[in-house]
Amino acid sequence: MIMRSGGASSSGAPLANNEASLPKLELTDIGRDFGSFTALDGIDIAFRTGEVHCLLGENGAGKSTLCNLIFGVHQPTRGFMTLNGAPYAPNGPHAALAQKVAMVHQHFSLIDELTTVDNLLLGRKFGLVDRKAEAAKILALAEEFGLDIKPHAVVGDLSVGQRQRIEIVKCLMQRPEVLILDEPTAVLLPDEIEALLKVCADVAARGSAVVLVTHKLAEIRKIADEVSVLRAGRIVARSTRPAEDMNDLTTAMIGRSGTGGAFGVASLPPRAPHARSRMVREALQIDGLSFFDQTGARRLDKVTLTVDQGEIIGLAGVEGNGQSELGSILAGLDHPSEGRWFVGGKELTHAKPRAITAAGAGIIPEDRHKVGAVNAMTLADNLYLNQTKSLTRWGLIDRKRQTEGATSLMKQFDVRAQGPAAPFSSLSGGNQQKAVLARELMTPNLRFLLAMNPTRGLDIGAIEAVYRSIREAADKGIGVLLISSELDELLAVADRISVIYRGSIVGTRMASYDNRAAIGSLMSGTATQ
Amino acid sequence: MSISAYMFSDKRLAGFNGVLARLAVPLAAVLAAFTIGLIAIIAMGVPLGDAVGAFMRGALGSPYAISASLNRAVALGLVGIGFIIAQRAGLTNVGGEGQIAVGGMIATALCLVPGMDELPAGLAFILPLLGGAVAGGLWAGIAGVLKVRAGTNEVISTLLLSFIATWLVYWSVQSENLLRQPMTNSATLPESLPIPAPTQVPLLTGSYASPVTWGLPITIVIAIFVAIMLGRSIFGFRLKATGLNPVAAARAGMPVNKLLVGALVFAGLLGGLAGALMLQGEQYSLKSGFSSGYGFDGLVVGLLARGSVTGVIAGALLFGFMRSGGISMEMAAGVPSALVGIMQGLIVVMIAGAAYYLDRSATR
Repeated sequence: MIMRSGGASSSGAPLANNEASLPKLELTDIGRDFGSFTALDGIDIAFRTGEVHCLLGENGAGKSTLCNLIFGVHQPTRGFMTLNGAPYAPNGPHAALAQKVAMVHQHFSLIDELTTVDNLLLGRKFGLVDRKAEAAKILALAEEFGLDIKPHAVVGDLSVGQRQRIEIVKCLMQRPEVLILDEPTAVLLPDEIEALLKVCADVAARGSAVVLVTHKLAEIRKIADEVSVLRAGRIVARSTRPAEDMNDLTTAMIGRSGTGGAFGVASLPPRAPHARSRMVREALQIDGLSFFDQTGARRLDKVTLTVDQGEIIGLAGVEGNGQSELGSILAGLDHPSEGRWFVGGKELTHAKPRAITAAGAGIIPEDRHKVGAVNAMTLADNLYLNQTKSLTRWGLIDRKRQTEGATSLMKQFDVRAQGPAAPFSSLSGGNQQKAVLARELMTPNLRFLLAMNPTRGLDIGAIEAVYRSIREAADKGIGVLLISSELDELLAVADRISVIYRGSIVGTRMASYDNRAAIGSLMSGTATQ
Repeated sequence: MSISAYMFSDKRLAGFNGVLARLAVPLAAVLAAFTIGLIAIIAMGVPLGDAVGAFMRGALGSPYAISASLNRAVALGLVGIGFIIAQRAGLTNVGGEGQIAVGGMIATALCLVPGMDELPAGLAFILPLLGGAVAGGLWAGIAGVLKVRAGTNEVISTLLLSFIATWLVYWSVQSENLLRQPMTNSATLPESLPIPAPTQVPLLTGSYASPVTWGLPITIVIAIFVAIMLGRSIFGFRLKATGLNPVAAARAGMPVNKLLVGALVFAGLLGGLAGALMLQGEQYSLKSGFSSGYGFDGLVVGLLARGSVTGVIAGALLFGFMRSGGISMEMAAGVPSALVGIMQGLIVVMIAGAAYYLDRSATR
């Protein structure tokens, strides 16, 4: 059963199976403003010992703010919190930790050069450190929760999942009564996610209240005892039987109906299978590309890949397997150590970004804030960032033409903003991405489009719009390389999916849900072609 | 959060109501600095009327005083405009002093080239001015090349290049093989020969009673040109994009390295021109230390201006008149002119403090 705030059952009365347990941590009418912006308002929520409470919501819904209030990073503007029935108002993380409230952040705070044990002892010990004894204690703790850590490995050599486990152990060392995990699964491999969810359940079972932030429905289905859905800073729905209420929760979260799994892409019509024919020319050809980073580590290993005109190739892989490096090279911001690459038959191996654009390659970079746009400039400026010259006469920019052009692009791509002169930073993530997409799709003589994680951080409506535009481009004969770590999105949008693992292409499959498991095992490196 | 970051950001001003904030912060800082200056004068036991009177006479008291202040403002303004050009590209040019020194030195050398004074149609003073400007530009360009080739921070390199430049001037007036006037007796000063009259920048009024030079209209034209360039030209657009996000600018096909070097060269050109104008319009012979802090004051003017050419002009006039007034106050009322330096320093500190405050209040 699902309860909606504002509805008849909004009193928040716990359901039958919870009536006995008193809340460990309770938030009453909590609100938080940042300047004139209200991030959270009227939040009533209770976290109970022995339960995993999932906070569900899209980006910007206020999930992280809520976590930060509990962990003392920010203080609420309104309302109050109680811990074990006593007032709880931490003025900083140290105060939260002192009261046994711990948090695992999205971004780790580990020192790469130190070993696991040394990282865990940071700031805790003075004088002599008995590493052996400490390591034994830490291992015992980790084992208790089924966390597999390597106590003497240097953190820099460990995988993301292993590092996260260290962060979790760091929290568990304090025997927290409340453990908050802010989107812990975003960076993990499928089997690591399983393990993490099990740890969450164990921690809860051993007497903690666990707060798990996520926007992956599958995880909620598996583990959540209770779910609260945040939208625009308010709790819009809650459920104590999430597995049964999945569809309602989804609807509440996005404010419209959708299906689980591939948000925003499920509503796209299935794509007619792309007919491969010898008549079609290659839009992109990558030939034996290798790349060594500054430290000499091999990041790309003889990558060979072809994208035909009119074809959408998905490049799947867990983040950090060379996608960023490949994207940088195709954007002209890095140059390969070995191999060559071509767009429309023109070699661009050592080309600068301007030549790459001139060859008809549109690039939607991985990080739109760092690479895709200049946040502090206007929307119109950003829409013409690489085409300003077309607006220039006698060295001066024709602002009127720029405004007109920007206005019509905004209309065509449904970029919503106050106007062309609005600062780019004032746009929502989805509109920013649509603007970048609009600019790149307007590249003269476009033949090839690279889209790197184009839907990251976007809401469902924007995801749909982005993929519609990308598909339209492909239908017009443009070759698209879509790099994403969201396998479901790739399955829905691409024609074929190649998998990158440790810098090499380890296999290619048709983009069909039947191949999902096979592609998943390629991504995790457990299967080879 | 650096001062220069604060100067750029439009976002930061949003909570403080745009135009008002642009004016309010510097105005409040200047007023507060003047108040503290007055308190210091009272604390020194100097009659306030005497000190203020001397200050006003020195700054505004006569056509000569006004002209001297304006000539100072011209030098400060050129350096300040150069500063905001470099700032637009995300660079902090603290090398105005060295660019002035190199510009003045090369201008002197060109003025003293045999036959220079015989050139027609004003070329006799125009060519050395241009030469000085180019020299300043190349000097700053060294820092630009170091920046894009080796990643050297331009704050360090422009500052150190300033020291090199001031010592080069010292060397050039110490050696007869360079610019020192011929030693006729043991009392011959270590300075260059006076430059010939045709190579001097003409006075606007033609009279030494009000010695404003053609440097003033030249600077006004440059200011208008730069304002348009920064605001409306594709070059200004690219400088801005490069300054705000060099990676995105590079991805958009902008020649980021050339823009960075170009911005510093442009800044240096104006610094070099300021040096040449000081030499050819006022001092007429090269002495060691002739730049006497104008480069650093110009940097402060640029900082105060928060990226706006109009702001540079306002700041340059303020500091130009303050400098004249301060000198007069020291001579007539016995108040050390260092007080003006203290007030300038206070203005900078207060503006930086306001940056901190506005940053905090604007951060969500």
